[in-house]
Amino acid sequence: MRRNARALITIALIITICAGIVGFQKISIGAFNRGGDTPLGLSLGLDLQGGSHLVYEANLVDPTTGEKQEISKDQMQSLSHTIDRRINSSGLGEPIIQILGEDRLLVQLPGIRDPGRAKALIGETARLEFRHRTLNAPPQPIESIKPENIKSIKIDELREDGKIFSELDEKDKDDQTQELTSFPAVIVEFDETGSNNFETLFLNLSLSLEKAATEAAAGNFGSPADQIHITIDGDEELRFSTLANSIRKIGDTPRFGIAFPSDDTGMDGNIAVEDAKKKLGNNPEIEFAIKKGFFDEDIGLSGDDLKSAYAGQHQASGVPIVNIEFDDRGTRIFGELTTDIFAKQEETGVRDQIAILLDGQELISPVVNSPITAGTAVIQGGDFTMTRVKDLALLLESGRLPVPIELIQERDVDAILGADSLRKSVAAGFIGLGLVLIFMTLYYRVPGVVASVALIIYAVIVLAIFKIIPVTLTLSGVAAAILSIGMAVDANILIFERMKDELRAGRTMLSAINIGFNRAWPAIRDGNVSTLITCAILYWFSDQLGATIVQGFAVTLVIGVAISMFSAIVVSRTLMRVVALSPLSRKINLFTPTGAGNITNRESV
Amino acid sequence: MDFVGKRFWFFIISLLVITPGIIFLILAPGLNPGIDFTGGSSMTLRFSNDSNINQEQVRDQLFALSYEEATVQNLGENSFFVRTRELDEVAKDALVTNITSSLDEGAENVLQGFDLVSPIVAQETVMNAFWAIIAAAIGIFIYIWWAFRNVPSPLRYGLAAIVALIHDTIIVIGIFAILGELMNMEVNTMFLIALLTVIGYSVNDTIVVFDKIRENVLIHSNRAFPEIVNLSISETISRSLNTSFTLLITLVALILFGGATIREFLFVLLIGVAAGTYSSVAIASQVLVSWDQKSIGIPFRNRTVT
Repeated sequence: MRRNARALITIALIITICAGIVGFQKISIGAFNRGGDTPLGLSLGLDLQGGSHLVYEANLVDPTTGEKQEISKDQMQSLSHTIDRRINSSGLGEPIIQILGEDRLLVQLPGIRDPGRAKALIGETARLEFRHRTLNAPPQPIESIKPENIKSIKIDELREDGKIFSELDEKDKDDQTQELTSFPAVIVEFDETGSNNFETLFLNLSLSLEKAATEAAAGNFGSPADQIHITIDGDEELRFSTLANSIRKIGDTPRFGIAFPSDDTGMDGNIAVEDAKKKLGNNPEIEFAIKKGFFDEDIGLSGDDLKSAYAGQHQASGVPIVNIEFDDRGTRIFGELTTDIFAKQEETGVRDQIAILLDGQELISPVVNSPITAGTAVIQGGDFTMTRVKDLALLLESGRLPVPIELIQERDVDAILGADSLRKSVAAGFIGLGLVLIFMTLYYRVPGVVASVALIIYAVIVLAIFKIIPVTLTLSGVAAAILSIGMAVDANILIFERMKDELRAGRTMLSAINIGFNRAWPAIRDGNVSTLITCAILYWFSDQLGATIVQGFAVTLVIGVAISMFSAIVVSRTLMRVVALSPLSRKINLFTPTGAGNITNRESV
Repeated sequence: MDFVGKRFWFFIISLLVITPGIIFLILAPGLNPGIDFTGGSSMTLRFSNDSNINQEQVRDQLFALSYEEATVQNLGENSFFVRTRELDEVAKDALVTNITSSLDEGAENVLQGFDLVSPIVAQETVMNAFWAIIAAAIGIFIYIWWAFRNVPSPLRYGLAAIVALIHDTIIVIGIFAILGELMNMEVNTMFLIALLTVIGYSVNDTIVVFDKIRENVLIHSNRAFPEIVNLSISETISRSLNTSFTLLITLVALILFGGATIREFLFVLLIGVAAGTYSSVAIASQVLVSWDQKSIGIPFRNRTVT
């Protein structure tokens, strides 16, 4: 009895934990996060939530001989990085990319709306460029805002929340608790076109500032942000440049306030309101220009000129670095570039950079420490880790030797179809399970009820395991899960049939249960092992192809089979023992199947 | 009941079920391979609820777009499964736009699913499928051989299980050859998974009977082998029937209420489960007996009555 009690407690504990896992929509313990907004928080495959499943094959052909070349692991890795980066930055969603075998790539795009665009992005060949980056470019006048777009210009105090000090009501003005500072500023009123165009300009400036701030925070060689350059031609000329953070839109009016820079670096910084008003005079004219934080010049150096890029460690200091090596043409251009930059640095102290762009996006923009004419260079960075330099090297490689890819398999499922399939299979699963429970109870009576309880427990455990691992549930996985219910039922049926034999032989209930379970075990074990063998082969077969449907089926079935053994051997057995010790056990009829009530000697078969 | 004595009839019944399928398999076109095996594109189109479009209209429209090779299958609920040659993004968009505008103007989200398989992948799938089935058979054979190492001639159990497995596979494939001809039912990757599942199930079921034989051979070592087999079948028959009954209930529920997407898959399982149950009693066990009686060629000479 004590053994039963212990087993019962263990089972109860397992059920409680599993039910908790299934019951809570989202589970997060530290870095461990499971669940989501899906039904029961299970992770759903593409066929149930909608999405695209794409398999690409890399076709690297030697340009001179036209023969197919071997593709290295690194090349596949960099290809995968490139695609990942492109799709992520396009805002289409998060791709799941997997390398299959030697030269294939599986790209899964869950819940994607526009598979066409994603495919176009994936299919592009990588373009790597090296450009000469000049910092603080001269101001370029903004053509989109013309003098007739400007209605009025005045000088006032601009508060940092975008209100003009002189327009505040008395109460607001005296309210010291707000702790808002005001700055002398130019307030410009536009017409509609002017207001719209200035707002676009403001947005671009803000983006540039944000980018520079992120770069600086990451400890990169960051490039300065763009500035707006303002020239006011009044009684006296007033000129200054400032960043996006000193511009405010004033309420819903077509007016913008641009605060004077508070430091002395801007030409007319730190000016007092009265002085500025004096300079402005009665009939001022304003001109806007943009002062790019940097300016990239195409010098004709591209990925084609790169011989190799690889991660390494600095010989002397051991810090992680990226080594790059150019071919003859590359060495020449890179030599000229670094010599020029270095000479300018020595002469004027302005440090130009080398901007390295992949698909128009900046990878890194190092400065030059000395002219490099030998064609080999190293890139160092204060924040470089081994992972970062490896990633960088891979990205450079992907641009050096763009690997053309070809779409060889595609499976797109619309989200509506997916949701429909999910709903239907879940409904069908419940109906199927319900029918099985009814059949078991009607035919096997008390053991049938026990088996039904065990089956429900089985279902809860399986769901909990799916959620914890997590197993991605696909349509075929649902089919496998339902099939494994069949396996679980089978194990129970085997046991009950054996038990029935023992009861017929005249054993007591308890010993019939024990012997029945022991006798049934070899059949359950061998049967399940053969299923596991099939699953292993299915898994291997699907791995060759990236056939996630097949894989989902195999994984689900393995889990199902394993848990079904547990449920039959541990759960059913314990419950049966408990029932056998209860008064119920005296009514032997309740333990033998319908129509088999008259116990006969088996020798008379 | 005398199962062993009727083994000749069991073999005849199997032959009767298998033969039509084999005839359909041999006669062109045999199995109707889907794009997973041939390469090409397939898509599911769902028109609006009140569109009342029939299969013929979709086919005519595809013909007009010069997709003469296209096949159309009505999935019900205004949905159609269309199979064409390999389509690229542009051709796919053009096809869907054209069909929508000419058959169901203004309908949205008509393209519910799209598949593309290149001929290279298709060829590999065929090869992989072949090897997967061979590997599964060998794996199972070796396991059974090992699991029955304590009874006389364990090799026979392994081989008999494989015979039953091949029997079930041929029945399923044969029925699909017939359905392919009559109902345009296609064979795809899901079909393969189903076939492997059937193999797993068939062996699982066979093992239960064999397990009983294994036990009885050791208990009743003085009895004749055919008698032992017959006893073992009698003792396991209700379990076999009950298990397949519960599985069949589940499968029928899934076929009736589950989505159209996996209906063919479930259909294979349905046939396979029925065949698997039958074969463990009527084929696997009887092959053991026939082998023991050295009567594989002349199964009815040593008719045994217990």
